[in-house]
Amino acid sequence: MKVKKIMEQVEDFFDLSKNKQKKKQDKLLKLIASLEQKKAMIKQEIKKEARGDKHSKACYNLCKEFKVVNKLIKRAKKNIKD
Amino acid sequence: MGHLIGEKLYKEKIMLKRLISPLLFLLFAWFIVTSTDAKTIIAGIAIFLIGMHYMENGFKLFSGGVLETVLEKFTRTTPKAIGTGFLATSVVQSSSLVSVIVISFLSAELIGLTQAVGVVFGSNIGTTTTAWLVSSLGLKIKIAHYALPMLIFGVIMGFSKHNTYKGVGSVLIGLGFIFLGIAYMKEGFETLKEGLDLAEYAMAGYLGIFVYILFGAVATVVIQSSSATMAIIITALATGQIDYISALSLAIGANVGTTVTAILGSLTSNKNGKRLAVAHLIFNIITAAAAVALIYQLKDLVDFLAPLLYISETNDAMKLALFHTIFNVLGVLLVAPFIKPLVRFLETLFCYKHEERGQPKYLTSEVMEIPASAIEALRKETIHLYDKSLEAAVHAMNLHRTEIYSDTDIDVVVEQSVSQIDIDIDKIYQQDIKNLYSAIIHYSSLAQAHLDAEGNNRIYELRLTARNIIEIVKDVRELQKNLNHFKKIKHNYMINEYNKLRSELVTILRRVQEIREEDDEDESAVLTQIEVLKEKTKDSEIALTKNIDTLIRENMIDSQMASSLINDVGFTHSICKKLLNSAVILWIRDYEVKELGDEYEG
Repeated sequence: MKVKKIMEQVEDFFDLSKNKQKKKQDKLLKLIASLEQKKAMIKQEIKKEARGDKHSKACYNLCKEFKVVNKLIKRAKKNIKD
Repeated sequence: MGHLIGEKLYKEKIMLKRLISPLLFLLFAWFIVTSTDAKTIIAGIAIFLIGMHYMENGFKLFSGGVLETVLEKFTRTTPKAIGTGFLATSVVQSSSLVSVIVISFLSAELIGLTQAVGVVFGSNIGTTTTAWLVSSLGLKIKIAHYALPMLIFGVIMGFSKHNTYKGVGSVLIGLGFIFLGIAYMKEGFETLKEGLDLAEYAMAGYLGIFVYILFGAVATVVIQSSSATMAIIITALATGQIDYISALSLAIGANVGTTVTAILGSLTSNKNGKRLAVAHLIFNIITAAAAVALIYQLKDLVDFLAPLLYISETNDAMKLALFHTIFNVLGVLLVAPFIKPLVRFLETLFCYKHEERGQPKYLTSEVMEIPASAIEALRKETIHLYDKSLEAAVHAMNLHRTEIYSDTDIDVVVEQSVSQIDIDIDKIYQQDIKNLYSAIIHYSSLAQAHLDAEGNNRIYELRLTARNIIEIVKDVRELQKNLNHFKKIKHNYMINEYNKLRSELVTILRRVQEIREEDDEDESAVLTQIEVLKEKTKDSEIALTKNIDTLIRENMIDSQMASSLINDVGFTHSICKKLLNSAVILWIRDYEVKELGDEYEG
């Protein structure tokens, strides 16, 4: 049992699992930044489309995309916390 | 009468066969007990082999996919493949581990046959580093002193939770045993010399060379390791038990023997393993022939090069290591220019004209042993299942894949595909799809034993996707019945509604195919598209259901038709969702992106 404890301390010293976790978090942060950018772009396009016809197919598609991008950002943020 | 005699002879033959193995074993046991020197040497060989086994397993755990990544990424050209094969084998000290990885990568189509042959050639040069290790470190330093601390630290590290530490521990244990094995072999040969001098039995000329080549080959076949044979040869040479030229011949024999081991191993392997074994055989025969023909010239070359490498004239063990490297490099130089024609020839071997229906294309037990290739092979097999299932499903919906994946307007595709395609989806399911699905389940279970938690998650996703694909076929079977029924009774309103469902399917199938063919760098954009399609499918289900209500109210369809239609709208929606979920698992590579998809939402 004691050997196992010593090994755990050695592993903590080298921080193997934390490195992996950090890599994942960095990747997710990049992903969130790119999705946020996309979200801002869609928002502008929706505004532009809505000036013409609010019920157009293009506007419907953009709204759907906006909703999905928002959902993906939320999930990415949740995955960072997890 | 003749029949009875034949039967008696057959029974006697079996009895004899059953007796031979225990008798040989007892004879061997008696020999070990009575001969102290032989006992020490054989124990040394056994300990050395245990060490090799630990080293191999340790590198499997320790490399954590690094070895696999190196072998996959750095084998694009033949020189690179040879270099990578050499380096990988030199580091892990096991050509069999490299061979297993190469065969499994080949089966999973992660690398091509040309690259695999290149790695095997390089690996042959890599095995010569064992001779350098034994002749330099093993004989000069008292390595048994280092063996015991290595074993102690190896065992301690084995207590770790992490595979990396466990692997390092295993490698240390392996090295410890290898060092200990060499020490025992050396001790055994030294004491043997006091009573019996094998060098006295050396035969001169080419007859001696051929006899020793045969000895070397047989020893390697029996021990199943050319590295162990080389260790024996070097220690025997260093203790003066064999003369220099006999040692050179034994080394050539060890190379030939390793080919027999590879061929025996490939008998249970798939066509890729067999082709590689043939390449290995051809390479080793040419190398051995060249080495035998030029043995005296190569010996002179070694004598010329040895002082340049600071090897003393009397150090035969290191000169043997140099000879071993030179003749293997010579073999690569002779065969490598002909690698392309060799591969063309190999591709003509083991081609089975009639492949059995429903048999997996990428799955074998060997592939499942290497995590990277296991996951990739299972992904490819799931795609294979997807293609087979979709072929049946599309035909059951009276559609053709060429039209679905064309540029033609979707409504036109659906309206033009009017004739019923006679297809027994149950029969196809039983003959092709079910077998393939069963193979995926079976092999994924085998793979899970070699994978960590993350790898097991990937396997779980693929199994879930395979199940989704199977359910698509079952859903389509339900749709097919009603589709053909309403077509038969020529009910235009119902035909029109079913065409809407078919359009829905064609839209999703076409989009999934585009995702599959696109090499989009921005996978988050691909996921966004898929999730948007899922949202639209939900909207379309609502719209279709509302339309059914209108048809009922306007007496265009009766309640029985309506119930069939409502069920089939549900089936169509379920198929679309499963297709989109499968696309996320099969064609989005980035796990961080993949995990944002709907199916990961708890």
